[in-house]
Amino acid sequence: MEQKYIQRLIDLYNTGQESEADRQELEQLIESGIVSLQDIKAFDAVDQQLMEMKTPEPSKNLDARFYEMLSQEKRKREPTFLKIFFSWREVGPKLALASVALVLGLIAGYFLHSSTPPDHQVESLSRQVADLREMMILSWLEKGSTTERLKAVNLTQEMTNASVKVTNALIQTLNEDENVNVRLAALDALKPYVSDSLVREALVRAIGKQQSPLVQISLAELMVALQEKSAVKEFEKIIESGRAPAEVKKKISESIQVLI
Amino acid sequence: MSKVKDGDLDKLGLLFERYKKPLFGFFYGMNKDAALCEDLVQNVFLRILKYRYLFRGDGDFKTWIFHIARNVNHDHFRKIKWKWKDDLDLWKDRLSNHENRDTEFRQEEEMQMLSMALERLPEDKREILLLSKYQDKKYREIGDILGCTEGAVKVKVFRALQELKEVYKKLEKQF
Repeated sequence: MEQKYIQRLIDLYNTGQESEADRQELEQLIESGIVSLQDIKAFDAVDQQLMEMKTPEPSKNLDARFYEMLSQEKRKREPTFLKIFFSWREVGPKLALASVALVLGLIAGYFLHSSTPPDHQVESLSRQVADLREMMILSWLEKGSTTERLKAVNLTQEMTNASVKVTNALIQTLNEDENVNVRLAALDALKPYVSDSLVREALVRAIGKQQSPLVQISLAELMVALQEKSAVKEFEKIIESGRAPAEVKKKISESIQVLI
Repeated sequence: MSKVKDGDLDKLGLLFERYKKPLFGFFYGMNKDAALCEDLVQNVFLRILKYRYLFRGDGDFKTWIFHIARNVNHDHFRKIKWKWKDDLDLWKDRLSNHENRDTEFRQEEEMQMLSMALERLPEDKREILLLSKYQDKKYREIGDILGCTEGAVKVKVFRALQELKEVYKKLEKQF
């Protein structure tokens, strides 16, 4: 087919003068790839508008629901202790941990047979184990995967009295962790330390840094339970910013009413 | 996606962050209900989790995810026997919210009109235009999603654009 003839067909279509037969012929040329859709200038305006058409953004609720679903799926897949221990991917770190435990056992054995009083030896051993555990928690919180970070936060809850280093790491996790579930777990783990004024202040400051409605609501509930009046200003900022969903604003307003 | 298939579920978070907006935009173009669209996006990722072992890895992931999105959308409306509302009063109500605006909002009104014209298209034509938009006009990939040739996709897009233009013109005259 001659190029001139094809161009004439396109021109007829672009100027709206084509017949039904012309249109069918044009469709065949488009289907066979001889004519590109970009050659049809009659569509330029509407096509460009279509490409530029904006759609609303999904709410934060979608994120919260997705990550909740993901963590549930991961919990379902959590392998048993034996599987973890014997899986080749995990065997390296486990072996290292076992070696450390063995060395500690040997040290303990040495001290138990030495002349120093037994109470002192046990205390020293406990301290070393606690230090080791703290080091592992801090490392997981800083560099671990989501599952490891969650495990680390849960491990801190087993500690009778966490050090300032650990509470600071939990506060940092609450403020900066990318995963909502980890942030929520960090908030839970910090609850036993709210009697410490520094922790309370950090929790108040954390309010303004949260984007997740779930964390905002949990913080609001905690502040009400603590009767922490200094949190009112931070809550007011969230309401004024207009970014929070309606349910969060309602909950925060209720919390402010209780606090003032 | 291959890592997700191998059990590294954390990587699904990355895919979610990358595709949640295009998927939401596709669903929003199809049904204009933001809350429902969030449910449908969630369903897409639920299916990915459930059927991740079916991902063969020999094609584009974007094509696969939109293939799932299309099925999720069809399944949802088949389940509730949903019927598209084609009520002119509804269009007038929507447009009247914008009637009092000055010319500086003209562009926004045009977009609103285009959105209305898109809603008035038959579902298959609306779908092909949205796939074209969110698949960056990669007609071969769209053919993989729809199960037809690249040439057939181009003809479908041609017909859909033609009808969109006609509906748009009619709306312009009405308002």
